[in-house]
Amino acid sequence: MKLHVEDIFAVLVVLSFSAFLVGYLELFSGFFAIFLVISTFIKGQLISDYFMDLREVDYKYRLIPTLWLVVVLSLIAIAYMHPISE
Amino acid sequence: MSEILVDKKPYPPGDFAIWIIVYVELLTFGLLFVGYAYSRRVNLQMFNDSQLLLNQTIGFINTLILITSSYLIVRGVETIKTMQLHQRYEASMRASKWLLGAMMLGSTFLVLKLSEFSHLFTQGITLSTNTFFMFYLLLTMFHFMHVTLGVIILYNLYRKTKNQGYTPADCRGFETGAIYWHLVDLLWIVLFPLIYIMR
Repeated sequence: MKLHVEDIFAVLVVLSFSAFLVGYLELFSGFFAIFLVISTFIKGQLISDYFMDLREVDYKYRLIPTLWLVVVLSLIAIAYMHPISE
Repeated sequence: MSEILVDKKPYPPGDFAIWIIVYVELLTFGLLFVGYAYSRRVNLQMFNDSQLLLNQTIGFINTLILITSSYLIVRGVETIKTMQLHQRYEASMRASKWLLGAMMLGSTFLVLKLSEFSHLFTQGITLSTNTFFMFYLLLTMFHFMHVTLGVIILYNLYRKTKNQGYTPADCRGFETGAIYWHLVDLLWIVLFPLIYIMR
């Protein structure tokens, strides 16, 4: 499927607005924490693939930002799902 | 509407050195993001209370600003890469306008961030107030410095583009600056929900 940069821009705006709404409406359940992590991954991947143009290059270059997003966001998700103090 | 074409290339766009910088920056910020998340685990109440002092709306506006500026840069790169040499003047002027727009948005980001910092400082908040603000100020000031450098880079790209300094065959410098700006955007995309939203 051929995507336009305008489509990518629109998705980034919609996902950022939905993240803002989660904070604005104070929706802080585990479900919304996961939603924020996944939507951040999608946004990061879109920037890496389409804005940085890594979608068109060899996989080894494309994989580094993807791995970074997966590792960092997974560790953040684990830390948020398992707090030590109340 | 601009279209993204798909054909595999052996190397990423821009100078290879920028990609070393990108990976080092990702690693540095990644450690700070994870450090923030794990410090929060043991100071949950203090982090949640401190987070209430931040302005989520300004954070969101700054997110929109960086996303939009990144989009403008993509359009600028595209304009240069698809230009016909007999239309070099028109294409360069058009690309320089995309860059000017991105630069103005980057400057607006800096102004908004300065107002946010000044608001916190007038409340007596510093790096040593608590662990949350230590991470908040460290991450956002570090990112602020990156945006400042990005705006300087965009200004130089703007001047060279306006002087018709780039062609489709010679636009590596333009691409390198663009990659740096997208890095700044990528880092903020993670920073915004982590610091302003997630509780």
